[in-house]
Amino acid sequence: MRGSSEAAQALFDQHGEAIYRFAAVLVKQHQDAEDVVQETFLKLLRHLETGGDTTNVRGWLFTVAANAARDRQRWRMRWTAWLPAHERSIPPAPLPDEDGRLALARASLATLPRRDRLLLALRAQGLSYRDVAAAAGVKPASVGRLLARALTRWSVANEQMTASGGDRYGLLERHSDSGRR
Amino acid sequence: MACLNDTQIQAVADGEGDALARAHVATCGACASRVATRQQQIGELHRTLNAPAVPAALSARVETALAAGAAGATRLRALPGARRPTRWIYSGFAIAAATLVAVVLVIPALRKRDATVSAAEILARSATRLAAAPDRGVEVLVYELSLGGAPLEMLPEYAGGGGAYRIKQVIDHGVPGHYLFASYDAAGVQVSSLAQDPSTGRRVMAMRVDGRPYRFETTLPADRALSLPEIERLHMQASIALMQASGNQRLQVLDTPDGRAYRIDVPSLSTSTPAAVWDLTEAHLIVDATDFHVVEFAVKGALLKQPYSFSYKLLSRDVHEPGSMPPDAFEVPLEPGAIVLEGGEGSPIPAMDAFTIALRELGRTRQAR
Repeated sequence: MRGSSEAAQALFDQHGEAIYRFAAVLVKQHQDAEDVVQETFLKLLRHLETGGDTTNVRGWLFTVAANAARDRQRWRMRWTAWLPAHERSIPPAPLPDEDGRLALARASLATLPRRDRLLLALRAQGLSYRDVAAAAGVKPASVGRLLARALTRWSVANEQMTASGGDRYGLLERHSDSGRR
Repeated sequence: MACLNDTQIQAVADGEGDALARAHVATCGACASRVATRQQQIGELHRTLNAPAVPAALSARVETALAAGAAGATRLRALPGARRPTRWIYSGFAIAAATLVAVVLVIPALRKRDATVSAAEILARSATRLAAAPDRGVEVLVYELSLGGAPLEMLPEYAGGGGAYRIKQVIDHGVPGHYLFASYDAAGVQVSSLAQDPSTGRRVMAMRVDGRPYRFETTLPADRALSLPEIERLHMQASIALMQASGNQRLQVLDTPDGRAYRIDVPSLSTSTPAAVWDLTEAHLIVDATDFHVVEFAVKGALLKQPYSFSYKLLSRDVHEPGSMPPDAFEVPLEPGAIVLEGGEGSPIPAMDAFTIALRELGRTRQAR
């Protein structure tokens, strides 16, 4: 068991940052991104303890993190009644963002369907099409087409966002995440 | 070759394009330009989404969680404002204040977290638990099974008892396909049983027809099909997946004599489509709160547009070390007066064996006359 814990820790050192950045795109609050990372690596620990398959740990981690992020968003929807008034009066805690680029990217991403955001976040972490397909629950043959569409939509949203002077909260209000896959 | 479409351009830009597409880009200025534009966009995506610095505390938090092997992320989240203890905290006043804060703020907060565990999370854990069947040991399950509608019509030997039976399953997780499945009616009389052992290559099935016991013996087919326990588990997994897809889940926390359990009801699953082969209209699931194994499970719906229902209630579950079971644990006992029929190689669907062997026997008898 101790060996599993050490192996999980070593894998966290190797992939933890990528998983955090990936989760940060999918959830609205940085505490939730941290929760997703912790949950993912605890699941990894159990996976290792039970002798689970480790041939593609990186792909496995992103798949688990994607599911954890989706469940966390659903959890928030189910247990925290969302009202537009809350969104205006209590803006979400910001993610660490030194130069504002992430805020713009997130605001643009927030206008996209959830699957587009998921695919782009996976691609941004350098996953192969095979691993993107597994983590996003789409057919491997569809990844290229779906990514092309998502990237085009994101570019258009970015341009509109830049033109409108980065109206971050205006876009966040239009964002509607069904929380479903 | 004609110019590439958007999907092909994307694949080449992502380094996943095939040789033909790459060769085309190398010779076509227009496509090369489109690939370059895509690569620029991907580069921008990488830069923006990989910008945030990872919180320094995250590493320590995960390290602590891994060392403790704790379950559940939210329980370990640091409370806002929590800091390392400093010298002032040792004063009597500070300890009293900290205690007050703990009683007034922290304990209710922790309770709230326990109470707000979501139905989605429980369903996900239960599905994960079902999917991760143990890979060793012998599991003995005793449960009540009620069938209604289409499955009952397909299993006529079960119809007499109104579709409610007690089932005993012995599953050898170390040897795929090695199991015993036996069903008993309300009076404790064995209705049917099925056992197979890949190490001997034998399959035995027993059933009663008009009160007379029959026993069918075959060899196992060359191609291993899904075993009965595997099919049952897959059915539960698929049903839970449908429950997960519903936005209409209701969660109750139950304190039972066997410990805490979660009950999730989905009173109206509305995934029905005119072309659906299999659909659920309502479902409920009770899972153990400690390890999320399924304690009770019931669904109603339609299979090939015929109404069906399935309910499972676990009565006992034991896991034994490999080799610790008696040799006859997987045996179907030979009943006195049973008509024994032997066939050749069995089929992937065990129920078909009895049908085929019975027809062969009938043919032989007719020919002999």
